[in-house]
Amino acid sequence: MVQIKKKKEIEAKIPDAGMSDIVFLLLLFFLVSTTIDVDTGIGLGLPEYQEEQELVPISKERLVTVNINENGDVLLNKEVIAIPQISENLKERIESKINLPSKKKLIVSIKTDRRTNYNLYIQALDQIVLAYSEVQEAYSQQVYGKALSDLTPEEKKIVIKEKVPKIISIAEPEKIN
Amino acid sequence: MNFKKKRAKSNQEIPTSSMPDIIFMLLLFFMVATTLREVDVYVKFKLPEAVAIEKIENKRLISYIWVGKSGRIQLNDNIVELDEIQDIMYKKRVELPNVIVSLRIDKESDMGVVTDIQQALRKASTLRINYSSMLKQ
Repeated sequence: MVQIKKKKEIEAKIPDAGMSDIVFLLLLFFLVSTTIDVDTGIGLGLPEYQEEQELVPISKERLVTVNINENGDVLLNKEVIAIPQISENLKERIESKINLPSKKKLIVSIKTDRRTNYNLYIQALDQIVLAYSEVQEAYSQQVYGKALSDLTPEEKKIVIKEKVPKIISIAEPEKIN
Repeated sequence: MNFKKKRAKSNQEIPTSSMPDIIFMLLLFFMVATTLREVDVYVKFKLPEAVAIEKIENKRLISYIWVGKSGRIQLNDNIVELDEIQDIMYKKRVELPNVIVSLRIDKESDMGVVTDIQQALRKASTLRINYSSMLKQ
């Protein structure tokens, strides 16, 4: 009898040690690429509530009033204006006060009727914030030659807090008698 | 004499084939254990759009107030009345002194309700607010 030699079994294996690396890579990819919805919006600080209001005189030079009535008409310093033009109009005024001391900076006061549409209010507020941001950006380019976001924290503080502070005042609601 | 080293005849490899399974398990565990603070919103709202918007960096500080089309107000998890806001926010502020209130107000709302909420927030001295809005394309 011819002896049949048993064939030697070759082990067939898929190299799977690197599998965990692949899974890690996948995990990292998803971690980085997923953005959990960020909250965006217009930040504002409200004034403190006081029972008795102190009236502080403010010179007309500093003050810009934006009034919006229930029909959506907008007044800027008692002149009719379209909302998209507010920022252009304000920019000049803000720029002219960059080098004045902080007590003489521009104040933008915004006042609405109770029946004014909220969207209009946000549009107007957006224009005001936009005007300030653009002036800050321009100032940063002019003085430091860099974008506002590239400034060091100290430089940023000078621009945002000292030179071009955003002073937006929400008018005190009037009491209805 | 036999100097041959004694070696165990069993396989000395560490089985690594189930390593990805372990990592998957870990991944799943973290996915389940992490709760992305989801709140059920009971009011219908559509945010206004704006250009000069900023991100709120610190999500932990945020409290949300929704105002829907119907004028209903939701504060964090519950529908509330206007005059309850002050007390709730005051307690909130005691726990979290620099809380930011994100106002998610429907764009068709009237300013009346917005002003009322702002007055309530001022009385509760939660002064940092954020008018939530989408980026205008």
